[in-house]
Parts: sequence; structure tokens; C-alpha cells
Amino acid sequence: MKSFLKMALLSTALLLPGLAQAQEVVTWWDFLGGGDGVRMKALIEKFNAENAGKIEIQATTLEWGTPFYTKVQTSAAIGEGPDVMTYHLSRLPLGVSSGALSEITPDEIAAAGLSSADYADSNWKAAQVDGKQYAIPFDIHSIVLYYNKDMLKAAGLLGDNGLPIGLDGVDNFKAALQKLKDGGAEYGVSIHSAAGDSQWRIFYSLLGQQDGKFLDENGKFLDGDNLDKAVKAVNVVADWVKDGLAPASTEYPASIALFTGGKAAMHINGVWEIPTMTDLAAKGELFDWGAIALPTFFDHPATWADSHAFAIPNRVGKEVSPEKRAAVMQVIAWMNKNSLAWADAGHIPAYAPVRNSEEFKTKQPNATYSVLADTAVFDPSSVLAGVASPVYDAAGNYLMPAVNGEIDAQSAMEQMRDDLQAQVE
Amino acid sequence: MSAADTATDVPAPARKKRFNRTEVLAALIFVLPFVVVYAVMFIYPTLQMIWLSFQKAPLIGAGTFIGFDNYEKLFKDRLFGVAFWNTVYFVVLTVVPSTMLALAIAVGINRLKGWTQSVILACFFIPYILPVSVVFRVWGWMFDSQFGILQPLIALFVGENVPVFRTLPLFMPAVAFITIWWTIGFNILLFIAGLRNISPEIYEAAALDGTSRWRQFTRITWPLIWPVTVLVLTIQLIAQFKIFDQIYLFGNGGRSDATMGLVQLIYRSAFQKNNGGYGATVAVVLFAVIVIFSVLQFQMLRARGEK
Repeated sequence: MKSFLKMALLSTALLLPGLAQAQEVVTWWDFLGGGDGVRMKALIEKFNAENAGKIEIQATTLEWGTPFYTKVQTSAAIGEGPDVMTYHLSRLPLGVSSGALSEITPDEIAAAGLSSADYADSNWKAAQVDGKQYAIPFDIHSIVLYYNKDMLKAAGLLGDNGLPIGLDGVDNFKAALQKLKDGGAEYGVSIHSAAGDSQWRIFYSLLGQQDGKFLDENGKFLDGDNLDKAVKAVNVVADWVKDGLAPASTEYPASIALFTGGKAAMHINGVWEIPTMTDLAAKGELFDWGAIALPTFFDHPATWADSHAFAIPNRVGKEVSPEKRAAVMQVIAWMNKNSLAWADAGHIPAYAPVRNSEEFKTKQPNATYSVLADTAVFDPSSVLAGVASPVYDAAGNYLMPAVNGEIDAQSAMEQMRDDLQAQVE
Repeated sequence: MSAADTATDVPAPARKKRFNRTEVLAALIFVLPFVVVYAVMFIYPTLQMIWLSFQKAPLIGAGTFIGFDNYEKLFKDRLFGVAFWNTVYFVVLTVVPSTMLALAIAVGINRLKGWTQSVILACFFIPYILPVSVVFRVWGWMFDSQFGILQPLIALFVGENVPVFRTLPLFMPAVAFITIWWTIGFNILLFIAGLRNISPEIYEAAALDGTSRWRQFTRITWPLIWPVTVLVLTIQLIAQFKIFDQIYLFGNGGRSDATMGLVQLIYRSAFQKNNGGYGATVAVVLFAVIVIFSVLQFQMLRARGEK
């Protein structure tokens, strides 16, 4: 017993010099549970290996959406949050207004070797509220059209360059879906139609292609002819579902499985599922596939987009040391500078030196669809908008049932407008 | 009342001895830990919650007193009405059916002997051990509108696959069914304990008189098991009024306004919208509803049982 005690004391003593130059442990939360989560884990491991003895990231992945943001908000209020977390820029106004986010000062940004010049202006400013920086952008992500080359070829919808043809325009696209179905596909296109979030991304793209404004400068939702444009946008998808060209009320994993299992010829989903396809193809379990920017259904190309960013939560009552903040900034800077690996997860890096690099420009399929960044439409900047916001709730309550034919598009959009307008206080 | 009566009958010195100071002290010491924990963990937060319902306050932090404004807003809130009726509907769908079913299963299991009894009882009890997230995944996959294992069966009757959790009229019944499947094991256990308390001699006497099985059940088992039934009904009522997890998980991303229960309204107001005052108001109303319903039910059922 005595010798055991001695040993315990000795081991503690041995640890002491180690403590003097202790490594900073950075607690990290993210919501990356899709195909991209695997890529992020690899990035974190690489960081930990390179910075062994100095900084260690301890990462936890939480459930995407409302569960993540509710937890962040609650933990920020009592100082029990992480040191750094991923955050959607669409939600930044809401996050700042509820006091969940800590300002990142210009000195901190400069000290980490980052600069606003390294980011697209609109992207950088989307991380600000009232001129103060609350996040550092990491990527731009969007939805794309995944397609099965064999099925498109059989239906005469594949050009010689391996890219789909004849998909632009509402009627053309629907005709193409019918052709694919006639050719033996169970569905022309599979969509995640059982939830508001995925439908919101398609809807917002279609609204953007008509220059429709979901929320205008006067704080009005779907005002004037914007309502008609919204109804048109809803009806595009509702028509596919009604005619059995797209599956009704289908859950997220099932919508992917319909495509990867060869039952649907095309699939509309986020770029974050690129790794899912890449990995399946690498294992030889997937057909010849491709991904392109969403076709132009209306006047001009436009695609919904959002941006993953890094933010530091408020730690009310438990402020962190300057050393820890510096370590967090090191993590953020490193991730941005190494974001070429993040492009493997389908995303478009926000950090311009990476985005403009030759490696990224030749990376497939990113290079095919990265044009969408030029015509991207971002969620309205409002405390009511963004991931897990009242707008997303409303998408579940009105948009999703309208797509599935439970409510007609006109009354769904009117109810959505009235519900959100009533929440503007 | 009766304690006071006996106290006056006892001679003075004896009474004095009865309330011996050291005994009182000992009693206090034994009771104190519970009283302290109860006061700190229940009474104090409850009073704080009621106080919070009169304030405009964020989830955490100070608020301003606004009188009955939250209550006024509550009774004008369309969502509160929806949430209230959804909760009542869910209670109706689960409480009595799950109690009756549990009794029937318990009577059946009680007939079995030896290891078959243990195995069958374990089969019914196993779902109760599962966490709600597992229950959600299991049934979510079984009912999945594209690949669910139950869909061929549904298609046989309806003619096509049915997205059960995205079809509004089916949502609550489906969640109620799953909840009964999940939690019935505990009720069965309570009933079996009750059934084993009934002396076999009563049944032997009834058998000697040539009483039919059904008469044995209605005249012996049912009256003697009644106190347990009241207990199960009351526990069920309180538990189902607090329905949250299942609705939240199965309804996430869908028409959450139409499928919302009262606890979900609390969650959304306080945690999602950072409106602690309003969330507390809904909680106070739910608290009152549960107290009223359970006291009423318990009294009513007990009175009937004593007849």
C-alpha cells in the first residue's frame, strides 16, 4: 500500500514539468454527420498529429439542425459550450441576436494570419453583424443534381462529354423525368420530400431563378408578385410528385438509397453527399455517376447556397484564457489553409488561395458544378431565417405538405407568408 | 384525526414520553435529507417557474415583470390550442388501451408456469429497456415509406406505400401504438405483482363452487386488482401528458405545428425561441392540468373501487 502511494506521488511529480508547458485542449462541436463528416475527422486527426504537444482538438459530432443549435444556445448561456464550433452563416443574425456568439476581434484575426482579403467579400460580410466579425467562413455549399450516366444515356439525355443535355426549363425537365421513368426507372429524380429543410433548398433555388424575393428590404415576406413566383416554384416539384416522377414523403436516407440503388435516375441533394458517392464508387458498388449544378428551370441560373463557418460561442461566467482563444484561432486558420481536403467532401472552400489553386480547379466533380458559386442565392439575412430558424420550421409546416400534395401550393404559400409575417415583432 | 384521538386517551406521563425530544430529533434527522432535497430540487424550482411565468425573460438570465401578459397571450395562441388538444388526444389513445391490454397480457402470463412464464414476460418487458432513440430508429425503419419492412403489408391492404409519419391523421395513432408497445412491459409487471397478491385459496373456493372462468375474473380478479389498475392508470396519465420525445423525433422536419404537444411548445418557446417566460407559462398550465386530471381520476376511480 505504502509503495503504491509512493508510486502515485512519483508519477504525479513526473507529470508536473509536463503540466508547465501543457498543450491547449480545444473542445470542438460540429454537426457534420453526412458523408462529409468522415473527411472532417481525417482533417482533425491530421491537425492533432501536426500539432502534437501544442494543441489538441477534442471533437464531438452532434445532430444537425435544431438539436445542434438548441444545445449551442443553451450551453452558451451557462458557459458550458465548446471552444469552437461549426456554424451556418445563414443563421448568424439569429445566433448573434440570441447572444450565443462571441465577437472575433480584428487583432485575433490578424494574429492567426488570416485576412478579409482571402475571402469573397459577400462571404466575409455574411459573417458580420453591425460590422463586427462573429465567424470565419470555411466553405460555400449548395445543392447539386446527381445523375446516373447509364440511365441518362439510355434515355438519350447524355451528351458526348458525359454531361446531361436537355434538362433546362420546367417542361423539358419534366419530359426528361418521364423519359427516364418510361426507360425503366422507378422515379426520374429522388428528393428528400419528408422534411422542410431539403425542400427549402430546392424551393429557394427555383425562387431565385425567377428573381423572387422571399423577404424584401421592407421586411415583408413574399410580398406582391413574389407570392406568385413562390407558388410557381412549389408547383414545379409538386408536379413531379403528383405524377409519380419523384417520390412522395421520403426520408433522407431513403432518398439517397433510391438513387444509389438504381431506382431513381437522378437525385437532388447537397454537395455534402459527394463523399458518399465517391466512397461507394471506390468500392465498386456504384454505377457511373456525375454531379452538375441545378438546371435552369426559369429565367437564369441560381442555386440556394449556405456557408459553413467557424464560430466561438459565448462563455457567460466562464471566460476562456487568451492562450486558449489564440489556440482556437490557430485551429480555424489551419482548417482554412488545409481546406483543399474539405473539397473532397464536396464543398467549395471559402479560402481564396485554396479555391484559386490549380489542384482545386481540376478536382472533379467540384470543378463541374463550382460555377454555381457565381449565381448562388443565400438565405435572407434575418433573425427569422437560417438553419433551425422559424423559416425552416415554416418550410416543414407549409412547403413540405404542399410538395406532397397535401395542401395546394397557393394556400400553402399564403399561410407560410402570414405565419412568418406574424412572427416579425 | 385518529392520531389526536388516541393522544388524548393516553395518560399524561406516557404522552410526554411519546414525544421525547431525542426521538423527535432523530425523526427530524431521518426526514431532513428528503425534505432538503425535495425543497431544493422541486419546491424551489417550481416556485421559480411560476414566478418566471409572470415575466418577459430569456431562457437564462433576468427578466422584467409583466403581470398576466403571458397568460393572456397563451389563451390567444393558436398553437397552444393545437398542442393542448393533441396532448389530450394522445392521452386518450394511450392511457386506457395500454392499461387494459397490460391487464389482459398479465392475466395470460399469470396462467403460465415455470420458465415459459419468465421467457414470455421477458419478451413483453424487453422493449421497455430500449432508449427512445432506438425505438425511433427501429420503427422509423420498419415504417419507412420506401424501404420499410411493414410497407408490403400496408400495400396489401391500402394498395400503395403509406408514409405513416407524414400522413397527418395517422401520426398520433402511430406514435400512440409505438408508445404502448414500448412502455407496456412496466404495466404488465405491476399487474403481475398485483395478481400474485391474490390468495389462491379464493380461486380454489370458487372452483369448488363451480364458478366459470369469466365469473372468476369479473367477481374475484377484477375487484381485487382494482387498486393496481388505479395506480397504473394514474401513472400512465401523468406519463402520457408529458409526451415529448416520440412526437419530437417522428415529427422532426415535418408539420411540427400540427403534431405539437404541450411539452414541445414549452421546448420551442423556451429553448428554441429563447422566451423563458412564455415557456414557463405553458409549463405552469400543463402542471395545473396534470394535477387536476390525476387527482380527479385517482379519486373517482378509488371511490368506484371501494363500492
